[in-house]
Amino acid sequence: MNLTAVRAIFKFEMARFFRTIAQSLISPVLSTSLYFVVFGAAIGSRIEEVEGISYGAFIVPGLIMLSVITQAISNASFGIYFPKFIGTTYELLSAPVSFLEIVAGYVGAAATKAMFIGVIILATSFVFVDIQIAHPVAMVLFLILTCLSFSLLGFIIGIWASNFEQLQLVPLLVVTPLVFLGGSFYSITMLPPIWQTISLFNPVVYLISGFRWSFFGSADVPIGLSLLAIAAFTVFCLAVIWWIFKTGWRLRQ
Amino acid sequence: MSAILEIESLRKVYADGFEALKDVNLEIKTGEIVALLGPNGAGKTTLISTVCGITQASAGHVRVGGYDILRDFRQARSMIGLVPQEINLEPFEKVISTVQFSRGLFGKPRDDAKTEQILRQLSLWDKRDSQVRELSGGMKRRVLIAKALSHEPKLLFLDEPTAGVDVELRKDMWEIVAGLKAAGVTIVLTTHYIEEAEAIADRVGVIAKGEMLLIEEKARLMDRMGQKQLEVQLSAPITEIPAALETYALSLSEDGCALTYSYDTRRERTGITKLLSDVSAAGLVLRDVVTRQSSLEDIFVGLVHAGEEDAT
Repeated sequence: MNLTAVRAIFKFEMARFFRTIAQSLISPVLSTSLYFVVFGAAIGSRIEEVEGISYGAFIVPGLIMLSVITQAISNASFGIYFPKFIGTTYELLSAPVSFLEIVAGYVGAAATKAMFIGVIILATSFVFVDIQIAHPVAMVLFLILTCLSFSLLGFIIGIWASNFEQLQLVPLLVVTPLVFLGGSFYSITMLPPIWQTISLFNPVVYLISGFRWSFFGSADVPIGLSLLAIAAFTVFCLAVIWWIFKTGWRLRQ
Repeated sequence: MSAILEIESLRKVYADGFEALKDVNLEIKTGEIVALLGPNGAGKTTLISTVCGITQASAGHVRVGGYDILRDFRQARSMIGLVPQEINLEPFEKVISTVQFSRGLFGKPRDDAKTEQILRQLSLWDKRDSQVRELSGGMKRRVLIAKALSHEPKLLFLDEPTAGVDVELRKDMWEIVAGLKAAGVTIVLTTHYIEEAEAIADRVGVIAKGEMLLIEEKARLMDRMGQKQLEVQLSAPITEIPAALETYALSLSEDGCALTYSYDTRRERTGITKLLSDVSAAGLVLRDVVTRQSSLEDIFVGLVHAGEEDAT
């Protein structure tokens, strides 16, 4: 294992994040605050409690997930797409590093950035609403797994994309709807039965449900199932990346 | 001298069916400078990319310092530095951090003294805190070289290091290469400037259409292939070549003041002595005698041309 190389990639990627620290942090904090104002205060005040939790607090886990997932994907996809775009992947491909080391560096950095943002949003939400975290260890675990797995997905998207439009396409057309329809702002038990069944095909439901459980102790789906779903998703992404590096798909001619 | 690079029956066929390399064999000894000459699309970059791991070979074996580039890729790649043809750099990164990144990527621990030495050697030290995008094209190329040297490679590939570079920078580049050779680095460079190969290489290989047409010591190559020309300058112009000199296949210059005779240095008898005595017997008075040896360019054009004729 070439740990020096992993560290080099990680540091290089984090440097990009800190170079643009203002926009990296201000925009998620601002958008989260807006969500709290609109959903928490304006609309939320007219909504009864959901499962015994005030609506403002209820949406906190979903909001964090929304930002973390979006950030993980965009950081990781951009992180590997940009070198491809400017042609610096030659260095990665010619370096004495295995695919695991490249992935560890890029995905590790993207996941760390997403974690940062998740924690900051959590801190911001303490300003707006009163929340307790019932299972802090599970909460951290879910956060880490989510950051990691969606960074892996972002990495795949970054390698797949051959232009900037494609880079935006998956997050915009697939991930945002899945997250919004995954119960970020509601419990899926609030839906008509048919939509509840359909929702179960949405992988994000399991994530948000599990994450919400770690806050409030109640969930839409069993917590074990949530953990299994995210573990399976992580393994799936790793397998795809392993295949990419084995075949050199879109990387090596 | 032991071989640092051994290429055996290397073949590369791209997905679209284009055969970029056809059974290439090449052995490069430690410490030499080898120039690979060839027209655009000859397979020079494909050859380098395959050795470096950027392109996958279709068949054949490559060993670097005795290590197979696939099986022992870590050892093999650690020994290689690559300066690509295109200037591909992170535009917003500082010069020094992009060089440190490369060193780390190749598994070497951070070494500020070494990095400083490399940057000074390439006249980049004063620019170390500049963003890459602020640099001129020539400076960027130096950054590429600094990145390639950052992990102290034993074998350096320079892919068209002077393409699109002005004359002054080209001379600088040659000096850098000479300095690296003195430091014990083996260098393989591709170029389509013959003068470059002539100026700095120990050996010259010629590639065309994915085949290694030849690889030979530069001096021997020029000797072996060398046609020499003898120009006899006359003190008074003549209008036609005297009949007595017809057997020499001479050509007369336009102003009638010079006769040119082509001969092969490899032949036992070049015919110069007899020519000169015949010239004076014909009543011509010599003003001066000049000999010229054909350059690598002539050899190269001759070879690539012959290759094309064989193919048709």
